[in-house]
Amino acid sequence: MNLNFVIIKLSKVLILLLPLAVLGIAAFSCVPASSGGGCAGPGAQGWSGLTGYNGILYFGSMDGKVLALDPSARSRGLSFPSEMEWSYTIKAPVPPGSICGPACAPAAPGVKIYGTLAAAEELVYVGTYNGKVMAMNRSAPGYDEEGNPSWIEKGEWFYPRGETKFIGAIVGSPVVAGDAVYVGDSEGTIYALDAVSGNKRWEFETGGRIWTSPAVSDGVVYVGNYDGSLYALSSRDGSQLWKFESPAAIASSPVVSGDNVFLGTFDRYLYAIGSADGEERWRFEGENWFWASPLVKDSVVYAGCLDHKIYALEVRTGKELWQFVTDSPIVSTPVLVDNLLVVVSQSGETYILEADSGALERTVSIGYSVMAPLYAGGNMVYIHARDRYVYAIDVQNGEIAWRFSSDIE
Amino acid sequence: MAELWNSIILEPVLNSLIALSEILFSNVGLAIIVLTVIVRLVLFPLTLRQTQSTKAMQSLQPKLQELQKKYGKNQRKLQQETMMLYKEAGINPLGCLWPMLIQLPIWIALYQSIMRALAATPENLLDLSQHLYSWSVVSQAVPLNEHFLWFQLSQPDRYLLLAILVGGTMWVQQKMVTAPATDPRQQSMTSMTTLMMPLMFGMFTLSFPSGLALYWVVSNIIGIGIQYFATGGWGYLTTPSALKPEPARKIPPAEQQSKVIKKAYEKKKGAFRR
Repeated sequence: MNLNFVIIKLSKVLILLLPLAVLGIAAFSCVPASSGGGCAGPGAQGWSGLTGYNGILYFGSMDGKVLALDPSARSRGLSFPSEMEWSYTIKAPVPPGSICGPACAPAAPGVKIYGTLAAAEELVYVGTYNGKVMAMNRSAPGYDEEGNPSWIEKGEWFYPRGETKFIGAIVGSPVVAGDAVYVGDSEGTIYALDAVSGNKRWEFETGGRIWTSPAVSDGVVYVGNYDGSLYALSSRDGSQLWKFESPAAIASSPVVSGDNVFLGTFDRYLYAIGSADGEERWRFEGENWFWASPLVKDSVVYAGCLDHKIYALEVRTGKELWQFVTDSPIVSTPVLVDNLLVVVSQSGETYILEADSGALERTVSIGYSVMAPLYAGGNMVYIHARDRYVYAIDVQNGEIAWRFSSDIE
Repeated sequence: MAELWNSIILEPVLNSLIALSEILFSNVGLAIIVLTVIVRLVLFPLTLRQTQSTKAMQSLQPKLQELQKKYGKNQRKLQQETMMLYKEAGINPLGCLWPMLIQLPIWIALYQSIMRALAATPENLLDLSQHLYSWSVVSQAVPLNEHFLWFQLSQPDRYLLLAILVGGTMWVQQKMVTAPATDPRQQSMTSMTTLMMPLMFGMFTLSFPSGLALYWVVSNIIGIGIQYFATGGWGYLTTPSALKPEPARKIPPAEQQSKVIKKAYEKKKGAFRR
């Protein structure tokens, strides 16, 4: 057959197929998992960090699982669940009136949990991406949407009440302070709930999306939003004490230390704001966003940046003491174990540094990307990675002591 | 390869979209409309060429059908005659394909930019951070305000309006360029193709962010405009999809037609030489 003729025939088919090809390539061109970005869905795992209470670790997953891990049982290699361990899946009801075309994913088995859980007394608190705050019994969760009395007897609750009632998507972590739980949502509202009953005490509309966690200190709740405003609110009644406006959205959860509140913004600055008056003390410029919350110890602020660097800055002046360059952006909040600073880059490379000098002590490679904040307990650092595993790293010898897959039935 | 794509094509488009949204009163809906218009203006010469090539190809349809009738059983002869017909008419059959191929990367970049810029989830936002320039106008705009009219641009349109607009405008655009067929078998095929694509895109609109649907609608409307002015009217939109065969009209045999075209072509060439 004449080649030109074949090309002509093919071109006619291509003209019909090209728009569909464009649609396919463009819509489904997700960013590789190693870079941590891209499409939401089952691929986007490992956002919730771990939190510890009475020796038990709690964390959530992107398929709605809330898990309790006993590190001693894991280190001994006991089968899951041991005595204090459990896994509970929060189901995702389909919102009424939702319209879904053919490209919709199949019904999710559970809700997404981005934020780190909070634990206090007998309860563990979870904020879900479908807009519920839940308090679950730490030893035997039995959350029941139908109002089964068993959960009330166990002190469990959810907010807002009612199967079809939701607040905005929750991305940040709930924070427990005193007898209240504070949580912000994507609609821009921060809620103060009674930690025991789940009743709402107050709410405050900030007017901009809240994707970070609030910080509570000395009766003041600090919360930042994507309108670039940091609010200081009275924890008693939610009244506004002051407001700081930055030129760009607030990227990281605020951290309070001494007289200052530290936070990163999308204009590539790390700010130190006076906690009493909301005045800017200093700002430090990175080469990308300070997404991870800074860590403050003594007179040093340790700030991980998406420019691949971790900076050590003087608390009082913001002067750079040292910096360490990693292999990829730093998304996770670092931790300190004694005088060792543990930093994980997005690629999963773990760096154990001398906190005073930034000198590298050792590295540990996880091999999967990490977005969740780190949690330290004793000599161990716990990392929730994108492969759904929790890794326990012994900081002293730089070895992975154990790992646990949350991908269980 | 991916890095090359990102730095040369995707990131300029993405950052322009974000900067535009900041300039246009923090309105990403307006930014999508303006950027789509700009991109279509830049690509206008190519689109025009594609439209003209398509029109020229379609003007040969009756002659091609005649050839089909005459040499239907002799594929080799049919191919030769078809090629000769294209050659004599001075038409490159690939003329309507290559402008589309050149435009493709830009469409894909615009498409990906809208998806990325809206950053509906934390992972999308984190990914976005790796593609932004250090312009203050960009950092101040992110994350974009996703509200435009009654749409939440990172979410599908709940009210079906965009799905209808996407499907409708795409149908009009396709109908303007699709020549009605005389052969009943070809006729059902043509009408199915004309309907299938708008229906599919309408269905996709139900699932994709409405920011993308907005881009499709604007792009289709501009396409209709270009088609209207380039071809001097509504094309085949006002023609019934099924043309009755025209037995009364005497169509000269294909070979004779070829000669006529050849003569005209040579005359034109001669005039050009003089």
